[in-house]
Amino acid sequence: MNWDGWLPLLIVLSSLSVGLVIFFLPEERVATRTTLNLTGAVLKLVLVGVIIWGVVHRHHYETRLPLLPGLDLVLRADAESVLFVTLSSGLWLVTTVYAIGYLEGSPHRSRFFGFFSLCVAATVGVALAGNLITFLLFYELLTLATYPLIVHRGTDAAHQAGRAYLTYTIAGGALLLVGTVWLYGIAGSLEFSYRGFVAELADGHRAALIAIFALLIAGLAVKAALVPFHSWLPQAMVAPAPVSALLHAVAVVKAGAFGIVRVVYDVYGIEFAAGLGVTLPLATVAAVTIIYGSMRALFQDDLKRRLAFSTVSQVSYIVLGIALTGPIATIGGLVHLVHQGVMKITLFFCAGNLAETLGIHKVSEMNGVGRRMPWTMAAFTIGAFGMIGAPPLAGFISKWYLGLGALDAGQGWVIFILAGSSLLNAGYFLPILYAAWFKAPPDTWPAERSFGRRETAWALLAPPVVTALLTLALGLLASAPFSPLQWARSITTLEYAP
Amino acid sequence: MAAIPWGVMAILLPLAGAMACFLSPRRASPLGLITALGVVACAAGLGWQVAEQGAQRYAIGGWGAPLGIDLYADGLSLLMLMVTAVVGLGISVYSSGYFNREKAVNFWPLWMFLWSALNALFLSADIFNLYVTLELLGLAAVALVALAGGADALTGAMRYLLVSLLGSLAYLLGVALLYHSFGCLDIALLAERMEPSPAVMAAMGLMSAGLLLKTALFPLHFWLPPAHASAPAPVSALLSALVVKASFYILLRLWLDVFPVTAAGLGQLLGLLGAAAVLWGGLQALRQTRLKMLIAYSTVAQLGYLFLAFPLGSNVAWQGALYLLLSHALAKAAMFMAAGNILCFGGHDRIADLDRVAQRLPLSLAAFGLAGVSIMGLPPSGGFIAKWLLLEAAMRSGQWWWVIILILGGLLAAAYVFKVIGYAFTQAVMTHEARAVPATMEWAALVLALVAILLGLVAPWPLALMEIGLPFGGEAAG
Amino acid sequence: MGAFYHDPGIRAVNDVLSVILLLSVPGLPLLLAFPALRSRLSWPCHIALLPAVVLLAVPEVVSIEVPWLLLGTGLGIDAASRWLLAMSVVLWAAAATLLHAPTGQPADDCLTTCFLLTLVGSLGAILATDQVGFFAFSTLMGYGFYGLLVAGGDEAPRRAGRVYLGILILADLALFEALLIAAETIEDLGFEAVRHAVARSPSPGLYLSMVLVGYALKAGVWPLHFWLPLAFRSARPAVALLLGGVPIAIGLLGMVRWAPVGEINFPDIGLIIQGLGLAAMLYAVLAGLERAQLKLLPAYAAILATGLFAIALGTGLADPAAWNRYGDLAHVFIVSLGFGLAGLATAIRWLEARYHCPAMLARQADGSNPWFERWPGAVVRWAARMGFDTLPRLRASWLAEVGRLRQVRAWKRMLDGSERFLQRWTFAITLFLLLGMVVVAFVGASSWIG
Repeated sequence: MNWDGWLPLLIVLSSLSVGLVIFFLPEERVATRTTLNLTGAVLKLVLVGVIIWGVVHRHHYETRLPLLPGLDLVLRADAESVLFVTLSSGLWLVTTVYAIGYLEGSPHRSRFFGFFSLCVAATVGVALAGNLITFLLFYELLTLATYPLIVHRGTDAAHQAGRAYLTYTIAGGALLLVGTVWLYGIAGSLEFSYRGFVAELADGHRAALIAIFALLIAGLAVKAALVPFHSWLPQAMVAPAPVSALLHAVAVVKAGAFGIVRVVYDVYGIEFAAGLGVTLPLATVAAVTIIYGSMRALFQDDLKRRLAFSTVSQVSYIVLGIALTGPIATIGGLVHLVHQGVMKITLFFCAGNLAETLGIHKVSEMNGVGRRMPWTMAAFTIGAFGMIGAPPLAGFISKWYLGLGALDAGQGWVIFILAGSSLLNAGYFLPILYAAWFKAPPDTWPAERSFGRRETAWALLAPPVVTALLTLALGLLASAPFSPLQWARSITTLEYAP
Repeated sequence: MAAIPWGVMAILLPLAGAMACFLSPRRASPLGLITALGVVACAAGLGWQVAEQGAQRYAIGGWGAPLGIDLYADGLSLLMLMVTAVVGLGISVYSSGYFNREKAVNFWPLWMFLWSALNALFLSADIFNLYVTLELLGLAAVALVALAGGADALTGAMRYLLVSLLGSLAYLLGVALLYHSFGCLDIALLAERMEPSPAVMAAMGLMSAGLLLKTALFPLHFWLPPAHASAPAPVSALLSALVVKASFYILLRLWLDVFPVTAAGLGQLLGLLGAAAVLWGGLQALRQTRLKMLIAYSTVAQLGYLFLAFPLGSNVAWQGALYLLLSHALAKAAMFMAAGNILCFGGHDRIADLDRVAQRLPLSLAAFGLAGVSIMGLPPSGGFIAKWLLLEAAMRSGQWWWVIILILGGLLAAAYVFKVIGYAFTQAVMTHEARAVPATMEWAALVLALVAILLGLVAPWPLALMEIGLPFGGEAAG
Repeated sequence: MGAFYHDPGIRAVNDVLSVILLLSVPGLPLLLAFPALRSRLSWPCHIALLPAVVLLAVPEVVSIEVPWLLLGTGLGIDAASRWLLAMSVVLWAAAATLLHAPTGQPADDCLTTCFLLTLVGSLGAILATDQVGFFAFSTLMGYGFYGLLVAGGDEAPRRAGRVYLGILILADLALFEALLIAAETIEDLGFEAVRHAVARSPSPGLYLSMVLVGYALKAGVWPLHFWLPLAFRSARPAVALLLGGVPIAIGLLGMVRWAPVGEINFPDIGLIIQGLGLAAMLYAVLAGLERAQLKLLPAYAAILATGLFAIALGTGLADPAAWNRYGDLAHVFIVSLGFGLAGLATAIRWLEARYHCPAMLARQADGSNPWFERWPGAVVRWAARMGFDTLPRLRASWLAEVGRLRQVRAWKRMLDGSERFLQRWTFAITLFLLLGMVVVAFVGASSWIG
């Protein structure tokens, strides 16, 4: 039997089925649930490994099921999808471990982990989608699966955040739907292909294509949290820390950014999009978002809120890299897709640890916390420096390629945006580090839990340390084979006509 | 196998079931369930037959048209029959847990009778026969609404009865006019002999108006929310899911076959009313404080979508409308059942106080949520496929304003569905011990909702079935 | 000897050894920077220096390419950097011994980690053979040094740290831009290659100014020297010892390595820089006299020396031939500057400890600086007041407006009223009949037309 046709579907099902089983597990079957979760995560990672191996060896993985007359549900492993699917399934494993530790003893865990798995299934579907309608399908599924996680705590603030999230994302999904249908009406096909498929329609449909581009990007921008569609993201920080990690690094925000990658490269084709004159406005929006997000982050006292605004800013690096028409900027954008995820998940894990262990939620409460929780804060420090773009961490590589790409594309103004953003990043991260390491700790923490000689539980400590090391490795080993950077380079050769 | 008249069986079996339930009230519940299974088997048999052999025509008693009564089954009627069977089975299972003994005695015969009328309606091939089945359907439905007892239910039932009679009468008048003009009642014959005349215009006006009233198209929807909300849960489910669809089905048949689409203006009018229904129903649903009222207004909105196909008129649009009809039938039945569970469990259906209840009924809430996904038209669900087809039709015909309506309707639906879902996530603690809900009731709702979701993944199959017998004329007008 | 080198097996072993050695110079301190890994070692800071000592003892010129590291980087040692490395090792060893000095107790974890990270940065920068590597290590050195300045201190070192940090960020930005320009010009980012390529590129001015400003900030060259007096005044002895040898030396080294001096002929810029250098020396003398604090003496000495360096650099820019002849002396200058400042700082501490002059302490506490040293703080305060604060407030007022609109009950009443209206029986009948008539009219009209 030939498995190549089913492997992408299996990857989606590996977490989907786990999620469905977990829904029906009684609350007290902790061990079973943990085993299921971890099995699913590891299995998925193994399958992704197989796919990477296969794609490198020029295997063709595609699952095609009929969805509508003339439209198929296509799951396909191509270069971009492998990049994203590796990121999300890798980080999912880490996040699952973290979530198991984080939610220990709290109510409604079956519900939580059920939706958690659904969420990742949807993300993997988004990553593997081979045409726009499959993408749309999983994109909306992601919206639905995330909502219960955001309102999980059931407090008023959580409900408010959930409402904001839904308002934005469902409206965004509607725009995306309209754009997709319109495009289908014109083009008669929605298959993603390298260098796009709409170029041959250019005559006669120019205006329509620009409008469709605007619709699609607006729909995706909601999840990618571009200004002015960003304000759900800072509100959603009321959710538990693993959910924040999921929102900011693994799934939701990334799905939006990845969608923009797909639309620009595989629907329109970057060169055609540039010819259409739509990339410069997109770059402008991204630039505004970068600066605005950082400025807002500067004035937040709530740690997770500050991190959320930081995400708003950082995710736009990806969009900026895409919208700057040039192969080097593309590398920067794509590689930041991975790097931002790894760095931001580290920061959110650390924020969760502080909240769980010491009850710290605000930056102003973080004085001297580095002494109490050195490992957590060391991970946080690495993540923060990565965000600032300090060499040799992952963020530096992204910033390097973005800056170089901007020069290459003749868009010198972007350099100033990058410089300004780095400055602001430093402005809101360094005070935290300063307070944590160099200020004297208070006599008592807001709500301290004791974990014996360790600073916190193992399941909470290991994930941020692992991702922090990954941040370091992604920067240090950027030129090694199979690094995201190399992968992004090979994607770029596919997307630009020789 | 091939020779068995499955269609006729599908009418006679529930009728026999009604008799049996009536005669043996102590065993009404199991008898009803067995009958329901039998009807499902009949529908499946008919489906197999139609898929293998093409559209079927039965002449009852050997007398063909124009004298005798003909039954006709093509893709359209087959799908209606099938969805009725699935929803009907769900409702039967649900009802076996819902009603206490004395109510069950009344419920089962009426429900079987109604089912029989429905099946007959979907299979009828002449317009008078359609009238008869419509009238039977209306009477059975009114009786079922009154079943709940109490002032509310009786007022609702009374109003429903008047509306039902008024609509049927208008329809009957139209039938008389047509018979007078052409001397026949068979749909196929009428279609052949049709030529425009004032009498035909009047007939068309009367019949359309009567059917619109019974389909509760805005602004004629006023009777629907109180009637649907005051009935017992399974009755609400079958009214919203099936009964209103019957009159829409007749309208569709007439529109497609009898009255050739000469009046583009009328199509636009219906589309406008449909659009108004979508928005109005959505807004009203959003404002309701009672769960069942919310669901009833949601039905008003969803019925509006069906009429958006009229101005578009293309094959794709009809497919979309019909697909919406199918998925809405399943989803709405599931929603009403879930609401019934909540009502049964907590003793009230005030949305603001749902939090304590909803948490304890995860299955029902899941059913409500999944059905909501289909109602909102989010993928993967039957609602999404339907909406996609309608959007595609609107885009292709260049009538983009319907796109706006479709999208706005979806957003409103999302707003009111999540208004309810949000209450499941709460820190509130259950204060009082409530009546337990039988597992069958929870699972019936969940399974129907799952089928509605599943419709989004198997779309090519029903769409192919729809094409049998070319009910939409085969060609795309847009 | 020759035969020794020609044996391929021996050569392979030799290569592997040099890779291990060069990587362990920054690698070992980096590992030891983790508290858990050094908790059982008694002299971690000294042990961290061992690979560097071994490297100094190996006489050959070695260099390696590390293609997988960062964007493909290299490490190596040549005659010039050997002197720098030697100077660094001596200074670091002294500082490591002093780290325990004031109380006699072992320094806390945080301080030691910062110390080791700074060590990684400074040794790595000396060994780096390309710009990206140098940039990475010097950034690490900068942030580590910030930690050294601030750790365990009170308000005065914190203030110095803040100023240094601001300078550091700005400098890194400028250098990053320079790096981008260089990478835009040429693929290979080795020092020599970049100097060549940039000198031949159409506009080397931007690159040159970015490099000069960036490293001038890092090295505290006048007029970008704000942090230097603050740091000298407040730093603990071990750190004061390192000030000359670490941030200043690496800054000057960066200038020498990055700027295309000797390749390029820029008489105007050269003249300006010479002028600035001269002014710096004047300033150092005047300010040093005006505020005759013993503790600040090294700071003004540093400004004096860097001024001298600037004059030399300016000369090099104006007259490439001269630089090519005497340029190698720059390394010697840097090395002697490092030693000199360290010696000065130690001497002054010693004097201070001996005489303990209260008048000086009083002046030091009052912390009055000339106005031109205060402007960065003022700019930041001004910006915070002017722009950034108002944004959220604007948004809040807008939200309040929307909230007010939402409270208007008109919409609600409208919806309620019309639904009740629709439910009235007589109205419904009328509506129904009306609809029938409209339908008839429509059909009639359209068939009439049709």
